[in-house]
Amino acid sequence: MTETTDSAVPGQQLSLSTDAARNLATTTKTAPQMQEITSRWLLKLLPWVQTSGGVFRVNRRLTYTLGDGRITFSTTGAEVRVVPAELCELPMLRGFGDIEVLEALAYRFAQREVEPGDEIVREGEPVDQLVLIAHGRIGRAAQGAYGDEQNLGVLADGDHLGASMLAGGGAWEYTARARTSATLLTLSREDFQALLDRSPSLREHLEAWQDSGGRAANDHGEAAIEMSSGHSGEPTLPGTFVDYELSPREYELAVAQTVLRVHSRVSDLYNQPMNQLEQQLRLTIEALRERQEHDLINSPDFGLLHNADFSQRIRTRTGPPTPDDLDDLLVKVWKEPAFFLAHPQAIAAFGRECSKRGLYPQSTEVNGHRVPAWRGVPIFPCNKIPVSGQRMSSILLMRTGQENQGVVGLHQTGIPDEYQPSLSVRFMNINEKAVISYLVSAYYSAAVLVPDALAVLEDVEIGRED
Amino acid sequence: MPPELEGPLSLGTPAARTLATTTKTAPQTLESSPRWLLRALPWVELPAGSYRVNRRLTPTPERPDPRPVNRRGEVAIELASGHRGEPELPGTFPDYDPDPREYELSVSQAVLRIHTRVADLFSEPMDQTREQIRLTVEAIREAQERELIGNPGFGLLRNAHPAQRLTPRSGPPAPADLDNLLTRRRKTRYLLAHPLAIAAFGRQCSAAGVYPDSVEVDGSRMTAWRGVPILPCDKIPVSRSGTSAILALRVGEEDQGVVGLRPAEVPDEHLPGLSVRVMGLDERGITTYLVSAYYSAAVLVPDALGVLDDVEVYR
Repeated sequence: MTETTDSAVPGQQLSLSTDAARNLATTTKTAPQMQEITSRWLLKLLPWVQTSGGVFRVNRRLTYTLGDGRITFSTTGAEVRVVPAELCELPMLRGFGDIEVLEALAYRFAQREVEPGDEIVREGEPVDQLVLIAHGRIGRAAQGAYGDEQNLGVLADGDHLGASMLAGGGAWEYTARARTSATLLTLSREDFQALLDRSPSLREHLEAWQDSGGRAANDHGEAAIEMSSGHSGEPTLPGTFVDYELSPREYELAVAQTVLRVHSRVSDLYNQPMNQLEQQLRLTIEALRERQEHDLINSPDFGLLHNADFSQRIRTRTGPPTPDDLDDLLVKVWKEPAFFLAHPQAIAAFGRECSKRGLYPQSTEVNGHRVPAWRGVPIFPCNKIPVSGQRMSSILLMRTGQENQGVVGLHQTGIPDEYQPSLSVRFMNINEKAVISYLVSAYYSAAVLVPDALAVLEDVEIGRED
Repeated sequence: MPPELEGPLSLGTPAARTLATTTKTAPQTLESSPRWLLRALPWVELPAGSYRVNRRLTPTPERPDPRPVNRRGEVAIELASGHRGEPELPGTFPDYDPDPREYELSVSQAVLRIHTRVADLFSEPMDQTREQIRLTVEAIREAQERELIGNPGFGLLRNAHPAQRLTPRSGPPAPADLDNLLTRRRKTRYLLAHPLAIAAFGRQCSAAGVYPDSVEVDGSRMTAWRGVPILPCDKIPVSRSGTSAILALRVGEEDQGVVGLRPAEVPDEHLPGLSVRVMGLDERGITTYLVSAYYSAAVLVPDALGVLDDVEVYR
């Protein structure tokens, strides 16, 4: 074996230790790292429109409102009531202002609990009730041309069935069955008729609504452009003009701001090898950009989740995001869809559903990145899409660009002290403690040029394991 | 005064907006669609408004012919092959249909009215007349596509030969049904279906564990079946009971396919086959424009166009 020299006292150092050596060495340093930074695909993918005056007006053809909104409920214990003013979300009651009549109407709704599989209305029978869904999922099915069942989609919280009862009735065009246990509020025809007989204002409003149905409109509810096609001979041609909406929606640029403080001694002295101010600014801007993406999705004013038209929102068929659900979403934005946007966990849930069916969707290449895709439309991850406490999320699909009548981002370049496009860093002051303040502001918004540019798949369960 | 009791300290945005320029979009319309059929069809330009499709003679019960016919019902071109020795060769000539089908151009027209005051005064930054014409032209082009699909005379849905009409095996459009549709002709270039029918086909594929490819057409990615892109078209009707149709097309004159027809030249041409003509100015100061589009479509031989009928889109 090796023989140790006797001068070697155990534990004694024979050469310079690394600890001591480090006193002479330069430490290689990273710039400060930050976990909050994400790939922010939405900001990269949206085309940005320069908004010089801070306001963006979306002019549209005149549209007679066809769509309707969702109804909200108030819950006391197990008792559910409809909020009276919310009844104006029903297409026939839009703009009806008599709150006393609405309260009387809301009072007449009866609560009904149903179990999965229960039939709520049957196809072909007269519409004798108005049904509001307070909670639960209701499937609609109609008989097909060959006697088999056709799936017409799922309704859930806040949706309603049978609003045509208010306008005189007709027959149910589908059979509705509960898919989960559900809480419904129903208004019977007799109760409604009794109230109608006592309320002249309601009668007047409904008559006015029915009269307005006669206006010429195209399939999308826009005032029609009169024309004649395929005629022969010399018929008199209809004269026409294209009417515009009189009070179009205007989007103002929103702002995200912060005041960055740096002590003058820090920014003066400690700048090698990294500029302290630059690093502070870089991290602040990263945080602002993350907030910008968050707002573009979630802002109640212009956020895409809130700005999607009600007719463009669909529910999942069973809960988890299946290939069929994404196909349904592609029907809603069938004109040149650009990309899906989903929470990473929702993408994983979709992947599980594909694997379960033995499907392996091909990925597609976008700007040199390979991203998962469905039917050739890329699916981008975005962790700003909220996931609720019940592990529910949403998936967005959009068309982009002004020339495509799609979704666009709004910003303003050329602002004073611009540091990045539509982001300014402005020196504010130095206070008596020698702290320098900078105002960092980002201006942005997003606009949906026509409703069918954006669709949302709601009620996406991301944790289902079965 | 403490700051919280004061009013605003500076100019608010609503007041500032009164001095600022609003960035405006051109008027948007929900009606316009990609109009894939108009983009996919090759257009034949007619110098004189009509198009004659000459075909080989096909005897019919009303017009019998004693000569033998081939598999497709055309009078055969007699020939000999694989013979030995010196048999007498059959004399022959390809006979033509003496009464060929002629297609005339159809028209979509609108009379657009614009008040001179609007056009003269309010045309900054957007030309009011141009925007009115743009939107009218959009609507006319949409009508043109609707007619090319559904017109009783030349519309593709009505013009398919009965032998080229299929129905699905069960109800929804399944991969096997599209295979059936594709085998009926050579060189199928496009399938055309309502977006709901495309989704129904997607569901059938997913249920069968099949993932169809997508191909790029004109910069857009489309679902394809056996390499043939399925173009979406909302002009194909979906019936109340939820049935629709899927079309398969071979296109182009050189392939004896389906072609679109339009005039080679029209006076006051604004776009190919579409004219915008000033009609006059009336006593109320209203300028009227006549916007006309001329078009038609022809199926050169029956097997250029196939239809899968009665596909259920909701099941």
